[in-house]
Amino acid sequence: MHEIAGFLELTLIKATPLIFAALAGVICERSGILNIALEGALAAGAFTGVAVSSTTGSPLAGAFAGIVAGALICGTLGIAATRFRVDQIVAGTGLNVLALGGAAYGIVVLFGTPGVTSEVHAFGAGGEATLVAIALVATLGLQFAIDRTPWGLHLRACGENPKAATSAGLDPRRIRLVATLIGGMLAGLGGVFLSLGELDLYSDGMTAGRGFIALAAVIFGRWTPLGACGAAIAFGALSALQFGLQRAGIPSELMQALPYVAALVALTGVLGRSRPPAADGVALDS
Amino acid sequence: MRLRNGILFAATIAALAAAAMAIAGANPLAGFAALARGALGGERQLSETLVQTTALLFPALAVAFAFRAGLFNIGAEGQLIVGGLFAGLVGASLLAPGWIAIPIVLGAGALGGGLWGGIAGLLRARFGGSEVIATLMLNVVASLLANYLIVGPLRAPGVEGAETAPLPLSSWLPPLLPNTRLTIALVLALALAALLRYVFARTVFGFELRAAGEAPRAAARAGINLTRTALVAMTISGAIAGFGGATLVAGVFHRFNVELSPGYGFIAIAVALVGRLDPLAIVFAAFAFGILQSGSLTMQALAHVPKDVVAIVEGLTILGLSARQLARREPAAV
Repeated sequence: MHEIAGFLELTLIKATPLIFAALAGVICERSGILNIALEGALAAGAFTGVAVSSTTGSPLAGAFAGIVAGALICGTLGIAATRFRVDQIVAGTGLNVLALGGAAYGIVVLFGTPGVTSEVHAFGAGGEATLVAIALVATLGLQFAIDRTPWGLHLRACGENPKAATSAGLDPRRIRLVATLIGGMLAGLGGVFLSLGELDLYSDGMTAGRGFIALAAVIFGRWTPLGACGAAIAFGALSALQFGLQRAGIPSELMQALPYVAALVALTGVLGRSRPPAADGVALDS
Repeated sequence: MRLRNGILFAATIAALAAAAMAIAGANPLAGFAALARGALGGERQLSETLVQTTALLFPALAVAFAFRAGLFNIGAEGQLIVGGLFAGLVGASLLAPGWIAIPIVLGAGALGGGLWGGIAGLLRARFGGSEVIATLMLNVVASLLANYLIVGPLRAPGVEGAETAPLPLSSWLPPLLPNTRLTIALVLALALAALLRYVFARTVFGFELRAAGEAPRAAARAGINLTRTALVAMTISGAIAGFGGATLVAGVFHRFNVELSPGYGFIAIAVALVGRLDPLAIVFAAFAFGILQSGSLTMQALAHVPKDVVAIVEGLTILGLSARQLARREPAAV
């Protein structure tokens, strides 16, 4: 019994950053922005959270700063995609390189040694549990908002048919930008969970591809918050299992690769038809 | 106009880099000077810059090849790793004269990379799945797979760490300059650039690829098989990146190591964009980024500028050039 509780706890801890990032992915993609900068937003949130907690001594201030940093990364993608009509994939790749490089640079500038920051004031177990709860509540809230509110309807309209949305008097550019900002805040908080919730420092490579696993979770969850959250929890359970299975002789790389391989299988459609928003990743006409 | 914009863009990036150096407490002029000295200051430095140029040139040509066909290959990194893995595994167990062994090792690299690119191409062609998502996922799977294989079932006896056994001397690429890591890989990369330029400009196959990339609907009407084009283009693109990985194995490290690439496949996107997807211009772009790669450590040692300023420059470049119209993409199923 004790072991099951421990496994569930570890599953939720491993899943939480994925849930935040996957929710960010869902909002952005439902609005028509294919956001591959989630990895960068996680890193930006995680590093900025530690940097601000280190200077102010307050993890809460760090969390807010991390949220702003995530919004900055994804908002840049939003502005680039809606105002400058850039290619979203290329811009997202650039933001990933920029955010990961910027965090590595920031470690040296603020903490003096490359690779890893010093330990800072973090949330501890209580704050960690609160962030897990926030992720779950955010999932429900977002599911309701997308399905049942005018904002959600407008969001979906922009992701499916921006021309029709424009004809109906909506401004897809603004809606998409707002979607990336909200998404970026969520992803930033996911990063904060990694650095100030689960740990109390930031190190290079800490995000470890979670932004890409989140994209896989979005596909599995069929572009819904509940589905994406479920997929994120399943992936979290895989990493929680990893420690036990490794002792049983199953290589950890296999378990780590599973979410990605599963996403590739999902792309073939054999797991059932799943269709992204029709205008996902498609630039707006000027 | 084009030239003026280019100069303005480069000046902006340089100014931002200078600001990043100043914030880190370093003198930007000293930083740029150390970068230049580390990359171009002597025969040894210049040869190392050309090694980095070569390492970037292959994946950049791979990225450009796919982009010209309207496909977003973000997976050059993974294709390079799988290519290097194949080359390392085949090379370590092959004892033959160089003129037999070297083509086999490089061919194994192209095969591995082509296979990895081909998976993404197949998903796109057969199932309509987004090659963007597929290549992103395959990048991570590539390094996990390589790590698993060479630490696990294919571990070479007596080898510590995540690498294969060394290649026999006969499989090493011949050096261009004695006592440097610069090999004929540079010549091969330049020849490939010339070949690709010819293919795009002068052949029916190149025309079909460009048509599929630039005007897919019209291309389909004209009888070009878009499905086949996607599969072929992704496979060739992957093979080019994998070939590049093999040249790193046979020319630079003489064994496969999981840390073969410090992200060449991603920097390659910046290189390809700066080169406007034109193979000839990409050669010069690769040299420019080769300078950044090879000078960054000297910059860190002499001017106390964190070497990560280079990554910031690369990220800003990709972001800044993302506005270029690369291809008119049809919405693909993700």
